[in-house]
Amino acid sequence: MRSRQGLIRLLSVLALMAGLALMTAAYAVSANRPQSSVAHTKSVGTFRAVIDTIDYLDTSQAYTAQSLWALWTVYETLVTYRHVAGAAGYQVVPGLASLPKISRGGKVYTLTLRKGLKYSNGKPIRAADFKCTMKRDFLTASPGVGFYDTIVGAKKFETSLKGDIGGIKTKGRTIKITLTSPRGDFLTILAEPFAALVPCGTANQDLSANPPPASGPYKIGPNPDKNRGFSLVRNKYFKPTKYIPRGTPNRVDVTIVGDADAAVQRVISGQADYTNAAIPPERIGTVSNRGQLRLRKSANTYYFWMNTRVYPFNKLKVRQAVNMAIDRSALVKAVWGGLGVTTENILPPTYPSYRKLTLYKRNVAKARQLINQAGAKGADVTVWGRQVSDSQQSTTLYASYLSAIGLKTTLKFLPRSTYYTTIGNSDTKAQTGWARWLEDYPHPLDWFDVLLNGRNIVHENNNNFAYYSNAKTNRLIDGLKKPPALTPAVNKRWANVEKLIMQQAPWAPWSNRTFPEFFSKNMGCISIQRLYGIDFMKVCRK
Amino acid sequence: MTAFVIRRFLGMIAVLFAVSILVFLIFIIVPGGDPASRIAGKHPTPQNVVNIKKKWGFDKPFYVQYYEMMKKVGTGLLPGNHSQYDVLRSFDDQTNVVHEIKKGMPATFSLTIGAGLIWLFWGVMVGVLSAITAGRLADRLITIVALVGISMPVFWLGIITRYFLAEKPSHPWFPDGGYVPLTASPWEWYKHLILPWFVLAVLFIGFYGRVLRSNILDTINEDYVRTARAKGLTPRRVLAKHVLRNSLIPVVTLFGLDFAAVLGGGAILTETVFELHGVGFYAAERVGALDLPPIMGVTLYGAFFIVLFSAIIDILYAFLDPRIRPA
Amino acid sequence: MAEPATDFTLDTAQVLAEEEHGASIVGRSPWYLAWRRLRRNYIAFIALFVFVVIAVACSLAPIYAHHIAHTAPNATHTEDIVNGKQVLSAPVIGTDAQGNVVVEKAGGVLGPTWWHAHGRFVLGADGLGRDVAVRLLYGGLNSLKIGIGSALICVMVAVLLALLAGFYGGWVDWIITRSFDLIWAFPVLLLAIALGSALSINGFHHFGISISPHSLWIPTLVISYVYVPYVGRPLRGQILSLREKEFIEAAIGQGASPLRIMFSDLLPNVASTALVFFTLIIANNILTEAGLSFLGAGVQPPNPSWGTVIQEGQERIISAPWLTLAPGIAIVLTVLSLNIFGDGLRDALDPRAKVRVEH
Repeated sequence: MRSRQGLIRLLSVLALMAGLALMTAAYAVSANRPQSSVAHTKSVGTFRAVIDTIDYLDTSQAYTAQSLWALWTVYETLVTYRHVAGAAGYQVVPGLASLPKISRGGKVYTLTLRKGLKYSNGKPIRAADFKCTMKRDFLTASPGVGFYDTIVGAKKFETSLKGDIGGIKTKGRTIKITLTSPRGDFLTILAEPFAALVPCGTANQDLSANPPPASGPYKIGPNPDKNRGFSLVRNKYFKPTKYIPRGTPNRVDVTIVGDADAAVQRVISGQADYTNAAIPPERIGTVSNRGQLRLRKSANTYYFWMNTRVYPFNKLKVRQAVNMAIDRSALVKAVWGGLGVTTENILPPTYPSYRKLTLYKRNVAKARQLINQAGAKGADVTVWGRQVSDSQQSTTLYASYLSAIGLKTTLKFLPRSTYYTTIGNSDTKAQTGWARWLEDYPHPLDWFDVLLNGRNIVHENNNNFAYYSNAKTNRLIDGLKKPPALTPAVNKRWANVEKLIMQQAPWAPWSNRTFPEFFSKNMGCISIQRLYGIDFMKVCRK
Repeated sequence: MTAFVIRRFLGMIAVLFAVSILVFLIFIIVPGGDPASRIAGKHPTPQNVVNIKKKWGFDKPFYVQYYEMMKKVGTGLLPGNHSQYDVLRSFDDQTNVVHEIKKGMPATFSLTIGAGLIWLFWGVMVGVLSAITAGRLADRLITIVALVGISMPVFWLGIITRYFLAEKPSHPWFPDGGYVPLTASPWEWYKHLILPWFVLAVLFIGFYGRVLRSNILDTINEDYVRTARAKGLTPRRVLAKHVLRNSLIPVVTLFGLDFAAVLGGGAILTETVFELHGVGFYAAERVGALDLPPIMGVTLYGAFFIVLFSAIIDILYAFLDPRIRPA
Repeated sequence: MAEPATDFTLDTAQVLAEEEHGASIVGRSPWYLAWRRLRRNYIAFIALFVFVVIAVACSLAPIYAHHIAHTAPNATHTEDIVNGKQVLSAPVIGTDAQGNVVVEKAGGVLGPTWWHAHGRFVLGADGLGRDVAVRLLYGGLNSLKIGIGSALICVMVAVLLALLAGFYGGWVDWIITRSFDLIWAFPVLLLAIALGSALSINGFHHFGISISPHSLWIPTLVISYVYVPYVGRPLRGQILSLREKEFIEAAIGQGASPLRIMFSDLLPNVASTALVFFTLIIANNILTEAGLSFLGAGVQPPNPSWGTVIQEGQERIISAPWLTLAPGIAIVLTVLSLNIFGDGLRDALDPRAKVRVEH
C-alpha cells in the first residue's frame, strides 16, 4: 500500500538527513575550536621540533644527519666543535678532554679528560670508558668502525672480537692513542659521535629504545621511540664549559613526521616550533610567509658517477662529453626547485680548500662530437638510481641528456636500502648512476680517501663507484694524510688534487643542495652550526 | 562438530605455515641485496660484514635460516623482555618487528572499525533502498553513484579529498593527514579519521549495496516468499523477517572477510595517503624496501586475520546449516 | 496487497512472436536471446562505446605523440618556452633583513595550453617538462594492456583450474582449493607489491623463461596470479553443482572422455559467468595496477601508467592539481564504463533474473 512505501521512504530520508546533520554539526563544532588542542607554553621552556626521520638513538649506530643533530647535544666526544654559526663551526675544540698533544710524526695522540665529569646517572666519566666505547663500536658492528681502523690493534680486535685494543692506553685521566700511520683527519674522527663516551659495561646491542646515560647538556627522556618521537631533557650533572654552553630550552620534544606537508602544517598551526622537513619547492612560496624559512647550506655533493672500468665510460672523451652535456641549472631547477647551487667540484663550497672549477662549459654539440670520436655512439648504457623522488627525477633527466648525445639509455631504480650495496658490488658492473655524499666530518680526506682513492676500492660495499684509480692522485691523497691541520698550504694542495681528478672526469657532479629549515614566527636566535645543522641550544622566543 | 572445529583450526595453522614458507621462498629466489651489507651501512669494512653475517646467521643454509626466523617470530610474540638477537628484527633499522606491528595496530584498528561500521550501515541502506525502488529513477541514481564509488582508485580519492578539503582551503575543516591516538585526544582522533573513514568506506558501500540489491531482488521472487505473502503477511514483515535475513547472509560473509583483510593491514593505500602509521603503512614501506623480517611479520599477521575470520564463518555456517557439515 | 514496484519483463519469445506477426516461434539459442536483451540496454551500450573510444584513443598514442604533440612520452623539455611561458620555471628567492627566505616569484610547471600551442602541452607539462597529454595516452595504453592481459590470463587459468577441480574432485580438488586458500590468505595487495617489487629489480630468469625487469609482463602476471582464487572459487562452485546434474552423469555413462566432458559439456555452461567475470576483472585489475604503480611496484619509471602519473603529480598537487586529477578521471571513466557494461552484460546473460531494468 502507498502509505507503507511512503513510510519506508520517509524513514530512509530521515536517516540520511540525520547522518548528514550529525556530520555537519561535528564539523561546525570542530571548525570553531582553536586550531591546536595542544597547550603551548610562551616561555622558551620546551622547543618542539618535527623531524622527518631518525635512524638510531645509539651513537654506535646512528649515521644520519638528523640523528646526529639531536645526539651531539646528548653524547659528548673527547673533542668537539664550536656551537657557533659560520666557518668557525668547523673548528675542533676541547670536549670532554683537552685538545690532544700530537707526537711521533702524527702517530700518537695524548688527551687528558677533564676533572669531575659525570654521566646523567651520576656515575663518573672515566678515561677507560673511551676504550670501552671503541670496543663496543666493533662489537656492535657499528657503521663507523672503518674510521678507527688505523688505531693499533683495532683490526685485530675487529676480526677476533676478543681481547684488547693495544693502541688505546688509559691511565688516570690520560688517554693515549697510537695509530699505525699518521692521519691528518684523526682529530675530526675523534669528534665523531661514534667515539662519544658511554660507560664501560653498556650492552653491546642497539640501545635506541633504552639509551645509555648522557654526558652532554641534555639526556634522552623516558620511552624514546625512534620512529615516532622522543624528548631531550636537561642533564643535571652536566657542567657547561667555554665551548659547550648550557642550552636555552629546558626540554626538546622531537616528533617524527615523514610527510613534509604535515610537518610544515604543524609549525604553521603553532603545534611545533621547527621542522627540517624537505618542503616541496612549489610550497616554498606559500609557506615562507607563514613562518620563518631559512636555507641551510650543508656539506653535500650530488653527482653522477661513471664506472671507469666499464665500456663506454672507460674512455676519457666519453666522460668529458657527459660533463659537457648535462644541464646543471636545469637539474637544480627541476629537482630542488632552485634550492641548490650548481657545481663541477667534488668538495662543496663550505670547505676552505674549495676552489670553484669551470672545466666543462655546457656544449651539447661538442659533447656529441666527443662521443662520436670515442666511437661510443649508440652504446647501451644502464643508468642507476634510487627509488626516492629526487633521485628518480635527477636520474631521469640525466638519462635524457645522455640520450641527447647519442647513448642508448635504460633506467633502473632500486629501493633505497639496497641501492648502495648493489652499485657498490663490483659484480654488478654498474655503468653510471646517481649518488650523493654528505660529509661525515669536515676534512677533505672524508671525500677523497673514501670516494676517489684507488687504493681503497673493495669488492663489496665499495664507495668509489667510479672505480677511479689514478696513480698520481692516489699518491697525492695518501701524502695528504700526514699533515695534522688544514693550513692554507695544505688546502692549496687539496684544490690541486681536486682539479687533477676532475680533469679525468670520473664524476659528473651537478649540485650542492640547500636544505629548507622552517621555524614558527615567534622563534628567534636561529643559529646554523655548519656540521650539525640547526643549533637548538641557542634558540629564544621573540 | 567439535572434530570439524578442530580440523578447521588445524587447517588454519597449516595455511599460516604455508604462507610463511611462500614468503621466505619469494625472497630467496629474488635477491633483495645482501642483507649483511644492508645492515652494515654506508662505510663498512669487510670484516664488519663478515661479523654481521655470523651474528645474524646469514651464512647458514636457507632452511636453517627459515627455522631461526620462525623461532624469532614465536619469541617475539611471547611477553617479557628478550635479547635483541632472539626476536625478529628489520634488516634496515633493526627495530623489533612485533613491536612495530603492535604500535601500528591502534591506527589500523581505528580506521578499520570506524570505516567498517560506516560501510556496513550505509551499504545495507543503499542496498535496501535501491531494491525497494528497483527500476525507478531513485534506483538508477543510486546505482550510478554506487558504481562511481567502486570505480575510483581509493588512493586517488584519498589524495583529492585531502587536497580539496584539507590543503586548498585557507581554513580547512579537516586536518591534513596523520593519526592522533584515542588516548591522547578523542576529538582530534575523530577529526583525523573522518576523511580516511569516508574514503575507505566509499569503495565498499557501492559494492555491498549492489550485492545486497541483487540478493534482495532474487529472494523476493523465491517461492517461500510468495507463500508468506499468500499467507497474508504484510510486505513489511515479509521484507524484514524473510527477505532481509536471507539476503544479508552473503553480505555478512563478505563483510567478515573484507573486515579481516582491512584489519590485517589491507588498507595500505588509505593509510599511505593519509599518513596513518598503521600496520598497512608499515607493510607498504617495508615491502617496497624488500626488508624480509617485517614482510614476514606483517604477512603472517594479515594472513592470521583472514584465515581466522574465514574459519569462524565456516564454522558458523556449519552450525547454522546442518547440510553443510561434513559427514 | 501491495506489489513491489518492479517491472517484470514479458517472456522474450512472446515478444518476438508478437513482433513477427504470426511467424512460427523458432527456438533461439540462449546467446542470441542474451544479445537481444543486451541490445535494449542503451546505457550499457553507451558505456561500451565510451570504453572503446578510450581504448582506441590510447592505442593511437604514438600517432598523437609524434604528429600532434611532437614529442615522446619520456622526453623532457625543461628549458623549452611555449607561448612565451617557460615549461618549467624556478622560484625567484631572496632573503630579508633577518635572513628569512622571501619568495618573490613562485615557480611552477606549464599549465594546459588547450591547443593554443599547436598541439604541444595540451594538458600542460609535468615536473620534468614532459607532455602530460602524451603521457596520459601512453599510460592508458600500458594500463589497458596490463588490465586486459591480466584479466584474460586470470580468467583462463581460473576456468581451467575450476574445471579440473570440479570435475575430478578428490585430491586434485583438494590441492587446487588449498592453493586458492593459500594465495587468498595473503593480503592481496601486499602479495602483489612484494612480487612486483622483487621482480622489477632483476626480472625473472628461471625455468628457462627470461623476463626483463621493465617488461609489462611482470605486473600483468603478478596481478593475474593474485586474482585467480577470486575468480576460480565461484567457478569451481558452479562446476561442482553442474557435475551432479544428470546430463553429466549421462555423458560419463556413455563413456565420453574427461576432456570432452569438461570442454563440451561443462565449459559452455560456465561460459556466461566467466564472460561477466572477465569484464569485471578488467576493471578490478586496472584499479589494482594503478595502486601498484602508485606504490612503485607496478610499471617502472620512467614508463608511464595512470598510477605512476598520479604519483608523480602528487608533489605538485597545490600548484598544478590537474596533474593528479586528469589521470584519476581517466581511470574512473574507463573503470566505470566497464562496470556499467559488465552489469548490463550480467543482466542480459542471466536467464534467471526476474527483474530487468528497462531502458
